[in-house]
Amino acid sequence: MAEQIQKKLQGELEKYQQLQKDLSKSVAARQKLEAQLTENNIVKEELELLDDTNTIFKLLGPVLVRQDMEDARVTVAKRLQYITGEIKRYEQQMQEMEKRSEQQRELLARLQHDFQRAQSKA
Amino acid sequence: MEAPGGASPLSPALVGRLRQEHEKVVTTCQEKIQHWKKVESDYEVLQERLRTLPDKLSYDIMVPFGPLAFMPGKLVNTNEVTVLLGDNWFSKCSAKQAVELVEHRKKYVRKAVDDLQKVMKNFESRVEFTEDLQKMSDAAGDFVDIREEIKDDSIETKGKYRTAHKPHSKPKVSDAFEVDFLANGRDTKSVGRFQSEEELWARLEELERQEEILGELDRMPDTVETNGEDTTSSEEEKEDKRMDLNGTYRVEDCITQGNFQKEVTNSDLFVRHVNGSTYYHSDDEDDTDVGDSSVPTIFFSHTVEPKRVRINTGKNTTLKFSEKKEEAKRKRKNSNGNGHGHATPELPNIKTPADIYRVFVDVVNGEYVPRKSILKSRSRENSVCSDTSENSAAEFDDRRGVQRSISCDEATQSDNSEGILEEEEEVGQQQLPKKLPASSGTTEAFSGTVIEKEPLSPSLIPHPVIAHPVLPTILEQKSEEVLSKASEETTKRISKFKAARMQQTN
Repeated sequence: MAEQIQKKLQGELEKYQQLQKDLSKSVAARQKLEAQLTENNIVKEELELLDDTNTIFKLLGPVLVRQDMEDARVTVAKRLQYITGEIKRYEQQMQEMEKRSEQQRELLARLQHDFQRAQSKA
Repeated sequence: MEAPGGASPLSPALVGRLRQEHEKVVTTCQEKIQHWKKVESDYEVLQERLRTLPDKLSYDIMVPFGPLAFMPGKLVNTNEVTVLLGDNWFSKCSAKQAVELVEHRKKYVRKAVDDLQKVMKNFESRVEFTEDLQKMSDAAGDFVDIREEIKDDSIETKGKYRTAHKPHSKPKVSDAFEVDFLANGRDTKSVGRFQSEEELWARLEELERQEEILGELDRMPDTVETNGEDTTSSEEEKEDKRMDLNGTYRVEDCITQGNFQKEVTNSDLFVRHVNGSTYYHSDDEDDTDVGDSSVPTIFFSHTVEPKRVRINTGKNTTLKFSEKKEEAKRKRKNSNGNGHGHATPELPNIKTPADIYRVFVDVVNGEYVPRKSILKSRSRENSVCSDTSENSAAEFDDRRGVQRSISCDEATQSDNSEGILEEEEEVGQQQLPKKLPASSGTTEAFSGTVIEKEPLSPSLIPHPVIAHPVLPTILEQKSEEVLSKASEETTKRISKFKAARMQQTN
């Protein structure tokens, strides 16, 4: 009886750890997105500071590709939107994972309690 | 700061750890600030370079080839700068435009530095706090200076602070009183005693009434203790006195009276147990604060403890209906502060009879116990019917006071009361006194109860909780001791000792 519970406990514990890892991954991804967001904001503002006389390049791999000012601005704006959308998505994902990990935690606590009880009985 | 394992929250280890964490945050913030400051200085240098660069059309420089080699070369197109805008975007700009861009970036850097500095400041103050905490916990050991700031407005000390001594004085007065009677009426012991007792009770009632007028059932935090001790000592004194005069019966009286006083005090002052409890500390103490001082100090403020009125059910039941009272009080305060955003709490919004029931019902042991009808004998004290001669003997002071407030709410309670009119029951000790009046009204010239209606009811209106008075009565019902139908009268609270005495006298 006690071993059963222990095995279950182990299994749940692993699940919980996995959940935690996923959660931390999401958190890291979100942080990266945040950085990109700020960066793109800066780019957008700097593009506005410049005018059409400046040639704009985009680095694609080892190549600097010439871009139009307008294209550049549009591209940057789109990228910003994309990033914000991603952030929202990650947020939701994180909440979901948080909830799941909370449930898992409760389950673990319960199992632990049962296990202790079983141990004390035995 | 709950320590796992139940150790004191101020355990040095934990506080030390907290402090370490705080310090870590502070150092991290400092590092970041350093980093950003460096960045800013770099940008400044860059700006300077950009300004000087277009001065010449071309520069002779040593061009680095790899990490170790240099080659002489020329720097041309000094005005054309390719700027990395971020996110793999580049743009060719003039030097001046580049300077502008750099300026724009410096703005961001400065913002980051400011934020970090704010955070750092916050955490520095926290570190200070934890340091003090640690100092305190280290220095304290087991001794902590506890201070309580008494705010007169928040704590309803009322006049009870003064009047609290009245109960003490009462017995002493009645001591002399009784002594006289005893001295005089030794022949007619039974009757004389009875009469003196009755007069004594009359006096007591009078004094109680005066007390009521002076101060309602407000709470009395600390003085409870002193009062309790005083009561005990006064009790002992009384006992000593009386031992000399009389036999055990007298002593009982004294004790009863003492207890009565005690109970008066108790009920007034929210004490837990009457009997045997020397020290009252009715109020819950919260550790609201940890003081910063050389001597570890804990500042706390009293919360209002639920008033427990001792219902003499013979089983030492106590009620906790003062929770509502407190709530109502708080609500009232809040509403006063908020400009009465809602109906005054002590006047519940009653629209249907069910509402009445719901309001004037209290939860005992998790169940809802209906309040006893005010038309029952115990609640009749404040009823319009002034035929109190049949009433039971003296009750608890505040119960009476509380019941008096019923008179304000008779109307609202009438529906409720009628429903349970015939269910009233009294506890054993009060049965006899009540039976007494019913059966032999002649034996008692004075039932031991002096009912005051009008003068007091207005003074008791401010009682935050309306329902109090009925609570005790209904709870007696719970005790399931049926009393004679003489309990049609207003209910009175009497100390069980008094009740016992009354019983014995009759």
